[in-house]
Amino acid sequence: MTSPPPNWTLERRIPSDPDVCAKVIEPLVDALENFGWAAREVFGIRMAMEEAIVNAIRHGNQCSPNKSVQIAIKVDDQEFLATITDQGDGFDPKQVPDPTDDENLECDSGRGLVLIKNYADEVTYNQSGNSVTLKKSKP
Amino acid sequence: MDQYECIETDKVEDVAVVKFVDERMMDAARIEQLGGELMDAVSGDDKDRVVINFENVSFFSSAAVSKLLVAEKRIRSQGGQLRLSNLRPEVRDVFNLTKLDSVFKIEEEQSDAIESLQ
Repeated sequence: MTSPPPNWTLERRIPSDPDVCAKVIEPLVDALENFGWAAREVFGIRMAMEEAIVNAIRHGNQCSPNKSVQIAIKVDDQEFLATITDQGDGFDPKQVPDPTDDENLECDSGRGLVLIKNYADEVTYNQSGNSVTLKKSKP
Repeated sequence: MDQYECIETDKVEDVAVVKFVDERMMDAARIEQLGGELMDAVSGDDKDRVVINFENVSFFSSAAVSKLLVAEKRIRSQGGQLRLSNLRPEVRDVFNLTKLDSVFKIEEEQSDAIESLQ
């Protein structure tokens, strides 16, 4: 009997097309399930990844067909780690209005960042703000 | 628009009921289409009471939430009322985390939502 691989990794460069998201997220979900992550945790990671990739494509690369998004993911039975890097100018997450403030509740922007922050244990941006790393430990 | 691809519509006790066809609201083009269909389905003087039933939905992204907000504004501008129902706990979390549970009135079951509109 062969033992399962110690981790699952994926490195992919995708075009600036939000519809390509599923091609990264579906195998990630399969990997999380194979490593025994609970459905609720898988939901949260799927949500954080979808929002981070869509942000990179829409806000980072402005959906430019000349730009791509680099995605690196590592999953095992203890931890999920992913870095999403776009080719845009970057942004300062502190400057994005908080969509959970009463006056911003019905605004369109920033809701994805709130979801990412809530579903990942750690969210870190690089200095230029065009790369985000998400980390979550299995409870 | 009479035929929809992303939603199913019904009328129960004079309340318009909308259900989503897709289990996962992820695909960007599909979410755009959903937004257009939702707006069409909730627009009109006879759409003063609307329930959106989430029983089929296991994943709902922030982009899909934005479409829902636009539909809610349309219903409100017509003097109508909207209720959401049958949200799975993880989908409900999306509304709680973004504090949109204070914008949308959420009921457990469709029957509760319809009753609250009577």
